[in-house]
Amino acid sequence: MANIQDRIDQSEKLSMEIVKESPDDRLMTLSVGPQHPGSGHFRFTIKLDGDYIVFCDPDPGYVHRGEEKMCEYRNFIQNIPHLERPVIHDSNNITYSYSLAVEELVGIQVPRRGQFIRAIASELNRQVYTLYWLAIYGIFLGHSTMFMWPTGDRELFIDLLDALTGARVTHAFNIPGGVRNDVPNGFKDRCLRNIAYFEKRLKEYEDIFYNNPLLRQRTEGVGILTKEDAIKLGVTGSVLRASGIPFDVRKAEPYDVYNEIDFKVQYMKTCDSFARSYVPLLDMKESCHIMRQLLDKMPDSGEVRAKLQPNPKGPPGEAYRRVESGRGALGYYIVSDGTPKAYRVKISVGSFRNILALPHLLIGAKLADMPSIYWGLNYWPVEADR
Amino acid sequence: MATAPKDFRFGNFVGSLIWLIFWILIIVALAGLPVIFIILFYVPLPPINGEVLTPYLFLSMVVDPTRTLPIIKFLIHTDIFRIAVFPGFTFAALLAAATIFIERKFLAKMQLRVGPLYAGKIEGILQLAADGLKLISKEIIVPSEADKPIFWLAPIAFVATAAALAALVPVAPGWVAADLDVGLLAVFAILGFFPLIALLFSWASNSKYPFIGGIRALHQMIAFEIPFILSALSVVILAGSLNLTDIALAQQPFWFILFLPISAFVFYISSLAELERIPFDLPEAESEIVAGWLTETSGMIYGLIQLGTYLKLYVLAALFVILFLGGWAGPQIFPQEIIPGYTGVKIYNPTTVNAIFWFTLKTFGMIMLILLPRGINPRIRIDILLHTGWYKLIVLTFINAFIALALIYGGILGPGGVLTQ
Amino acid sequence: MSEDSNKNKSGDTNTSQSSISSSSSPSKPAAANSPNTNISSSTPVTKASPSTPPSKTPATTTSVAKKEPEPPLFEKELVSQISSQLGDKVKVSYIRPLRIKIYVDPVNIVEVASFLRDSMAFDHAESVAGTDYPKENQIEVVYHLGSYSRVDLGAHILVLATRTNRDDARLPTLINVYKSVEYHERETFEMLGVYFEGHPRNERFLLPEDWADIPPLRKEFRIKGR
Repeated sequence: MANIQDRIDQSEKLSMEIVKESPDDRLMTLSVGPQHPGSGHFRFTIKLDGDYIVFCDPDPGYVHRGEEKMCEYRNFIQNIPHLERPVIHDSNNITYSYSLAVEELVGIQVPRRGQFIRAIASELNRQVYTLYWLAIYGIFLGHSTMFMWPTGDRELFIDLLDALTGARVTHAFNIPGGVRNDVPNGFKDRCLRNIAYFEKRLKEYEDIFYNNPLLRQRTEGVGILTKEDAIKLGVTGSVLRASGIPFDVRKAEPYDVYNEIDFKVQYMKTCDSFARSYVPLLDMKESCHIMRQLLDKMPDSGEVRAKLQPNPKGPPGEAYRRVESGRGALGYYIVSDGTPKAYRVKISVGSFRNILALPHLLIGAKLADMPSIYWGLNYWPVEADR
Repeated sequence: MATAPKDFRFGNFVGSLIWLIFWILIIVALAGLPVIFIILFYVPLPPINGEVLTPYLFLSMVVDPTRTLPIIKFLIHTDIFRIAVFPGFTFAALLAAATIFIERKFLAKMQLRVGPLYAGKIEGILQLAADGLKLISKEIIVPSEADKPIFWLAPIAFVATAAALAALVPVAPGWVAADLDVGLLAVFAILGFFPLIALLFSWASNSKYPFIGGIRALHQMIAFEIPFILSALSVVILAGSLNLTDIALAQQPFWFILFLPISAFVFYISSLAELERIPFDLPEAESEIVAGWLTETSGMIYGLIQLGTYLKLYVLAALFVILFLGGWAGPQIFPQEIIPGYTGVKIYNPTTVNAIFWFTLKTFGMIMLILLPRGINPRIRIDILLHTGWYKLIVLTFINAFIALALIYGGILGPGGVLTQ
Repeated sequence: MSEDSNKNKSGDTNTSQSSISSSSSPSKPAAANSPNTNISSSTPVTKASPSTPPSKTPATTTSVAKKEPEPPLFEKELVSQISSQLGDKVKVSYIRPLRIKIYVDPVNIVEVASFLRDSMAFDHAESVAGTDYPKENQIEVVYHLGSYSRVDLGAHILVLATRTNRDDARLPTLINVYKSVEYHERETFEMLGVYFEGHPRNERFLLPEDWADIPPLRKEFRIKGR
């Protein structure tokens, strides 16, 4: 253990060295730190040579709360509320993946209606998250209307989730075995109305935001992430699909009822920052189709939750399940040792995988391109820190 | 409030009133009376209707309204009034304040929200007063390694320069605070101060993000000054004078925007860049460099800089109106006499009031047009900005300058032209 | 470790049954813009999905008999490809639908990973997880490998596991094979104390700079108050 302590001390010294500047260094070190309107709960240090970035070092960990360790102290079902906290506005997806992994370990069969409701909640949450991401993308580029309109339209879906689960964010709705409660009366009609209105709004977004020549000038040709690099760096989600690889977990490895839904994986081949900002819009359009089909095919009645014993436990083993969330493939690796508490839970989040592309893309870019590249990587700092 | 208020005691209240009256008497006796005597002895007071204006005359005139008219008329035509009230600082500042409020409401409507709503009974109309009070009450934080003299003087210089610009703008024929023969040149000379002030302030802040912002402000403002001047050049060619009042009067037959649309467009874009408004707000790019060269401002310094910015907005909109939209020209809609048959001292001049009305209307329209891109566009990038400013806009202004020369030499405009009255 | 292959217990077969039926169609992954139709795949190892579900019916669904279900054909093909090339360097732990786990010794792991990347088209690592087993005095580091380039492997995850001694945990890094493990390995270093030889920065990543305790994911680290 003494070895480890030495290495820890050494790393502490090294991390302080990054931000030091020597007097005869002509590079300027900027700490785009947590106290910056353009960074979120995350810090990265960049060195500038004039207007060009020559060095970038991400430094996450500002919101690290030890989610994985906490999972080892709680039952499978008690883990749900704190596992939602990494992404509060996309909470249905991060607990969906967890529930799938636990169901595989323990051996629970989810009733069909529960599967449909789970999928509907997941799609609604995806819209909520992607609209929030779009809003912040706009504000990073200085476009305040692009911030206000998506934030206003998010309310359509937050209201639906509010009616469905009782909370606007952090719903605690998915549990291993299904969902907590059934849909309220009139939910389907309300959902369809909101989706129809939202599709009209998406057309307006395309006209006003994406056909704006200034936005195109700022994002086209910026931050090219080639297909080979994308595969090598292991990025996921809309970043991957913007580099020409049509990979979507819902299509590649359908979970629950997604094998009955007919939809296309949206991708673009241009690999630049504009593609990374446009693919989520296409995803949202596709998500509306998916929601319509899900609402159509949902069985009219049935259980929504499997009956479980109070402390479900399964035989010793491990499972790895993944789900397509707003940021990419969200995977859970759960090891169980036969007790009601998990032995090890490892969350593989899309944000943590995508951050590897940040130094790769920022080096050589101008300072003014930093917001569009950084936020285009669909990085949510709280989720990456877990 | 952190502490509980003390109980009300009537004796203390009366005591505080007496204390207040005591202090007023002391100040009046020790300071006010000497000032009055100095004014009476040393300042030459004007004669009104043949009598010298003494305090007794003044008090008697307050009683009789018809006798106060000469005083007011006299006061209105002094220089102090022109500089401080109308068309000088107060008028410009009021328009700037109204602009801030209207901008917030206008943008809110475009963005599907309501804007300020709660301050004041009607639609948040007292929001500005609330913001001003808040800014005054905030602590001004000066960074410890900042260059303190420049840090304090730069915002004041900013407002002073913007107010100096406002002094050159003619609102009505004969109503201008500073009537210069080379008024237009003076405008551009004063505009050249702003990049210097921005750079000095960002350097004095002694921090990295303001430094980047100041450099960007310098690049941007310098790049767009040349298209600015060149687009005004076409106007000077057509008008034949640099005096702003003469330029406005020279547009009697037709407004210059009909002949110089390209120059008007270039002037508009350049004024957006000078004002650091979206899409040209790089020096204040919030998501990249925190707040640019304004990062270290807080409290009243920030308030002063906002005031200066919106004064500049008013001035550039007013300049556009004077150069291209005919200044105060407009159909006479005010009657010759408000009260028919009144033969006393005239204070109402229908042409002046008409001119003020049309000028303010057109300036407001222009201000709305300048506010509009904020709701539509994202921010531009610096290399695209410099490319636009140095290549494209200069070429466009030259095209329009040649059109103006052709009009003059073709005998359509200018002295002895077909269209000149 | 070997008990893992027996752990396809009855409880698991229920869900694997449902997951099979749901995964049967995507075993023929669709092309990008076409719906979920059965394309005639060019690879000879086509998913024998129409035939697998019936043959995989577990004998009983109760916890009485622990009969090990027949591993699916496609995955078996993959495993036999690996074993034929690498021989006894890999030990298969379990073969389940869409998940294969193999154990490798630390000395061989770079070679095995290079083979997987170059010949088997598992081109990126999705995550790297470390698990502490104090009872066996070992730490197991698990790499989940996925494939973006081969469409029929899109759903499969190959779990590459290796074990090292707990007291002096050292492993060769896979950063030269899979660039995507850079931050994951760094996190495993700080959370479990596993030193990756060859990794450019074995440093603190998520923990605060003044962390002065043992690596937190070890079992003897207790959260205060629990």
